Amino acid sequence: MNGPRLLEVADLRVRRGEREVIRRVSLGVDASERVALVGPNAAGKSTLLAAIAGLLAPAGGAVRMGGRSLSTFSPREIARAIALVVALQEGAPKLSVLESAELGRYPHTGPFQGLSGRDRDAVNKAIAETCLQELAHRTLGSLSAGERQRALIARALAQEPKALLLDEPSAHLDIGHGLDLFALLTTIAARGVAIVAVIHDLVAAARWASRMIVLHEGEIVDDGPPGEVMKGEALGRAFGVTAIEARSPGEAAASTWRFERRAGG
Amino acid sequence: MGLLALGLAVSIGLALCLGAVRYTPLEVVSEGLRGLGLAASPALDEAHAIILGEIRLPRVALAALLGGALALTGVLLQTVFQNPMADASLLGVGSGAALGAVIAVKLGWSFDVFLALPAAAFVGALGASLVVYMVAENMRSSSLTSLILTGLAVSAFLSGVTSIVLIASEEFRVRAVFFWLAGGLEGRGFIHLGIACAIVIPACLAAAALHRPLDLLLLGETEARALGLNVPRMRLVLLALAALLSGATTSIAGSVPFVGLMAPHAMRGLVGPRASRLLPAAFLAGAILVVLSDLAARAISDRYDLPLGAITSLSGAPYLIHILRRTERA
Repeated sequence: MNGPRLLEVADLRVRRGEREVIRRVSLGVDASERVALVGPNAAGKSTLLAAIAGLLAPAGGAVRMGGRSLSTFSPREIARAIALVVALQEGAPKLSVLESAELGRYPHTGPFQGLSGRDRDAVNKAIAETCLQELAHRTLGSLSAGERQRALIARALAQEPKALLLDEPSAHLDIGHGLDLFALLTTIAARGVAIVAVIHDLVAAARWASRMIVLHEGEIVDDGPPGEVMKGEALGRAFGVTAIEARSPGEAAASTWRFERRAGG
Repeated sequence: MGLLALGLAVSIGLALCLGAVRYTPLEVVSEGLRGLGLAASPALDEAHAIILGEIRLPRVALAALLGGALALTGVLLQTVFQNPMADASLLGVGSGAALGAVIAVKLGWSFDVFLALPAAAFVGALGASLVVYMVAENMRSSSLTSLILTGLAVSAFLSGVTSIVLIASEEFRVRAVFFWLAGGLEGRGFIHLGIACAIVIPACLAAAALHRPLDLLLLGETEARALGLNVPRMRLVLLALAALLSGATTSIAGSVPFVGLMAPHAMRGLVGPRASRLLPAAFLAGAILVVLSDLAARAISDRYDLPLGAITSLSGAPYLIHILRRTERA
């Protein structure tokens, strides 16, 4: 591929206190890619996401957006390019869905400018894309977990980012709402947004993603199409399990997976 | 918002009419028109006109302005500390102001130099909040916990020094300090109103201009940063504004507790958490609260003014217990 990739992480190292949580991680993500970042607990997934979003200063290496290092971006420039939906955020329960989405325009308006017609259009589009028109005036605190997650995604979409990062977006969602959420993310990716999501549920990750990255002890140990990564040795070693395909008759790809604990895993 | 503005107008009207000397609303209005040059004939004799125009009017205006400032301080600190119970004591403002006042009294400045006591209290308040922020910064942590604990430690330290200075002071000086600490607007006039306007109005306008960053902080630190807000810098700016507002209030009126908790809390329930609505609503509610409390402080007893701080505590403490009980149930 010619030219820089949309999002590039080069030799990134991130420290939390004395500990190096991310060790020489390199990866590139293109527009419309659906990347699932998986790994066991404390592998450094959320830290990597925060570093890509420019919230943690790297101890070494760089994150680049369109070939330009994030260290040369202002915080608002980063937020116009990359949106982050964090996990388990309590946020402001008394804000309405609409008010919350309007805050997503801050990177475009700054501290002193009000919302223009263009900003309102972006907010309305984000609310429509997440199917929240009916709930626009409900407070975040009154929503179900699934609706709330969509409201947070609406705020991120109002930023009009090129890359959308999500930290465990399907946590706390039941199966139906989980499927709806992944369908929504697929639609967003289809219009050119690169998505990187930390996902705990390996099966859901394999079904949704176009690419799967396994992070283990701060390093990328596998990166490729979900079908291959799931069967790979690296994922098994990282989680201490063996993934076994369960293919329905006549289907080319695995429709689901089951896992067995490895001896001594 | 219109109702609140009307409520403030009615409260100010009541506060102007009632007191040791009473006026009818008509007298107040015609005196006001005369003051504005819209009416020629005086409605009151000279003594009554002076009491209304030069004693009561600045006092009521000061009550409204300082009440609004206290409420705004509450909104700013509660947003910065992400805690609806935060108030100026977290910044060490009260104890800093008290130490400043005690030193001014101890050294005799307050008896010799006009406005030395409020000036010293203001310097103490600002100094204390500066120390709190610098210690927290030095710990290389802008975390809320370290700010809160530093505030408590600095407050305790300053209170300790204040107690030592008080013990070593003559009784009449201690009396002067206690009188000021109890909080009140007795004897405050146009000069105090002028000083308050010079600090409070620009600080309020600055807070209003920052309503969008304030909204972002509602989301929490990570979310606000992910949306492009420089959170540590914004916290510093908002703390500086809160220190200015509460320093000005404390230095002029002494300690007036609970207004910064009650007004924002009540208004958050009515107009929601967004700063563009909450700031003006809380300002108006704080102004109403202090105008009426000051009226009560003047009107309850014919013989002397009760401390304003005691009146706001009498309503504030039960309100706080009510909030806590409701929160527990929820």
